[in-house]
Amino acid sequence: MKLIITDIENFNVPVEGEYKVIKPQGEIRHCIGCFGCWVKTPGKCVLHDGYEGTGSDMGKCTELILISRCYYGSVSPFVKMVQDRAISYIHADFVIRKGKMHHKRRYKNIITLSAHLYGENITDIEKETARELLKANADNYDGLVKEVYFYKSVEELEGVIL
Amino acid sequence: MRIALINGSPKVNNSASSVLLEDLKGYWGEETEVVNFGFHSTAVSKEVIEELARTDAWVFAYPLYVDGIPGHLLSCLIQLEETRLQNRQIHIYGIVNCGFYEGIQAQLALKLLRNWSLKAGFIWSGGIGVGGGGGLAMMPKLEPGRGPKAPIDKALADFSDIILKKKVQENSYVSVAFPRFLYKMGAQIGWRQMIKANGGKSKDLGKIPE
Repeated sequence: MKLIITDIENFNVPVEGEYKVIKPQGEIRHCIGCFGCWVKTPGKCVLHDGYEGTGSDMGKCTELILISRCYYGSVSPFVKMVQDRAISYIHADFVIRKGKMHHKRRYKNIITLSAHLYGENITDIEKETARELLKANADNYDGLVKEVYFYKSVEELEGVIL
Repeated sequence: MRIALINGSPKVNNSASSVLLEDLKGYWGEETEVVNFGFHSTAVSKEVIEELARTDAWVFAYPLYVDGIPGHLLSCLIQLEETRLQNRQIHIYGIVNCGFYEGIQAQLALKLLRNWSLKAGFIWSGGIGVGGGGGLAMMPKLEPGRGPKAPIDKALADFSDIILKKKVQENSYVSVAFPRFLYKMGAQIGWRQMIKANGGKSKDLGKIPE
């Protein structure tokens, strides 16, 4: 299953195969740093606003596709808040991978990550940061990186098949 | 010199960010005017923006969230960029604390603050990445330079001087003075205590929800 997290409300980019889209539908609450998703309701965020199950969705996917306006090399606040709320995809305990501390796996699936970032004025330095960020995300999810794609506008995404 | 200390943690109380900012503040004398701000939600009020515009330096302290800046703080930064303040001669500094042991893991969260600063037209002046931040809010308060926080105290002391002189520094990275395997073990014990305090069992930490 492909899991798509996007800030585009009227998302209509064609997707091949089975997929799920998480997009703005009602206000999202931001992560409050309580770690309840690890120690109260393991695997699920404790805030109930419709976005609490993303960690579990990630556990069922083979591809995670982020489609977002690019801000400073990051995804947008909406996409980032969904990601922040989904840390239950990983386990609270630490492991050492490639010489650095990361979190242990909760699920067995290997996720391949890609990002499609749009914006009128994404600088080269922001593009470099975005690529590094996706790589860091993949390391923390113990997954793989596919690619980071850049677009000048949302309209440019219309010719894409995910 | 008027310095804004901006706590970017979502937690209003007892955050590692507040500990780091409080410690930083301790290195300045009374002649330094410090104004405290809390960016704990997704928006910044007009009054806060007006107050921020009257300072010379902004020091952001925030936790590492999924390798980057917490979503709510990112939202505040976008608002500040879009506000187009008249005063652009503001020095921007960052302190990122991460739960991972290695301070270098905060590198991207600092790069994002730098990229924001460049885009908004402020003066990016460098930051510190603090590793092993998971226990900071729980550590007993000791004399600066003593105990597991000693390397962090040293980094903050140096950083306080850089800020006061409005100098620009390369990012620096620091970790708690505590062996990594013990830090890892301590965290594992802590999670088990927390899940038990919530009525669960240790094995529930690895639970896969329905």
